[in-house]
Amino acid sequence: MICLSRNEQGAELLSSYLAKTLDAARTAELDRHIRECADCRGLAMVWERLDEFAVPEVTPGFDARLYARIAREEARVLGWRKWLWRPVAPLAAAAAVVAAVLIVHPFGSPDAAKQASKTEIEQVAQAVDDLDLLTPIDR
Amino acid sequence: MEAVVALERDAQLMLRVREGDDTSFGLLLERHRGPMVHFLYRMVQNQAVSEELAQEVFLRVYRSRETYEPTAKFTTWLFRIATHVALNSIRDRKKEKGHESLDEEMLDGMERQVADRQQTVEQEMVHEVKLREVRQAIEALPAKQRAAVLMHKYEGLDYAQIAGVLSCSESAIKSLLFRAYEALRGRLAHMA
Ligand SMILES: [Zn+2]
Repeated sequence: MICLSRNEQGAELLSSYLAKTLDAARTAELDRHIRECADCRGLAMVWERLDEFAVPEVTPGFDARLYARIAREEARVLGWRKWLWRPVAPLAAAAAVVAAVLIVHPFGSPDAAKQASKTEIEQVAQAVDDLDLLTPIDR
Repeated sequence: MEAVVALERDAQLMLRVREGDDTSFGLLLERHRGPMVHFLYRMVQNQAVSEELAQEVFLRVYRSRETYEPTAKFTTWLFRIATHVALNSIRDRKKEKGHESLDEEMLDGMERQVADRQQTVEQEMVHEVKLREVRQAIEALPAKQRAAVLMHKYEGLDYAQIAGVLSCSESAIKSLLFRAYEALRGRLAHMA
């Protein structure tokens, strides 16, 4: 029994079948089955219909915009590192950690803390990302 | 076989980026720009947003260069970042403005694309309606299923890679994709 619509490998089998990479025996078996099984015909049809979803070309300025963003970020990081190349660096990092912790555990009821949304968690993730930048790496 | 070669090439390039070779970053960008933008485009169905998100992905790759270790397949890592930024964006945009506007932007782009080709008005309309059905069927999938289908159908990732991207077991991915294609069949098969 090879029915694609009752088989969790169905999507994989179908893609191999349509790409004609299955061996002859399996191909013949599927040919036969698909003729008889409306569900599988439907699945094959869906696979082909998905091909209609074309994508536009990437716009020409894409790389330039990306490199400009990278340059801006590099400049920012360099600024940070220069500023941190001072004895106060560990203190600043510690303060940032405290600030980050305060964002996750605001003073207030446990319920309020529970409601702290994913947005806040992401802010912390961002803060942690920024902490990475705080590590003096000048080599 | 080819995939293994590709993996090694990407990892080598990334290791060179780690050593400060920006040309290698350019090569990685060249290799993955298209797949990234296209995956994100089908995820969010808006060209400007998809390019913005793809830039976010490459920015994160560049940002991680100093700590990069070739532990996972580079493509898996890339799609993992892309899926993450796409899911965040979809969630934020849903909060901001319902997804009708998404559709309108999409239609604009689509109409322009269709007009570019020289088709008869009738062919154009049929094409447009069919394309809209496909888009809407994909958009109606839960975001995780949508990501899995797009990686599987259009980007050629196998079950194991998709499992790596979405941090699930392979069997979880199999049933996720199974449900997704069944849902698509329900929406699309009867209107061919
Ligand atoms: Zn069947």
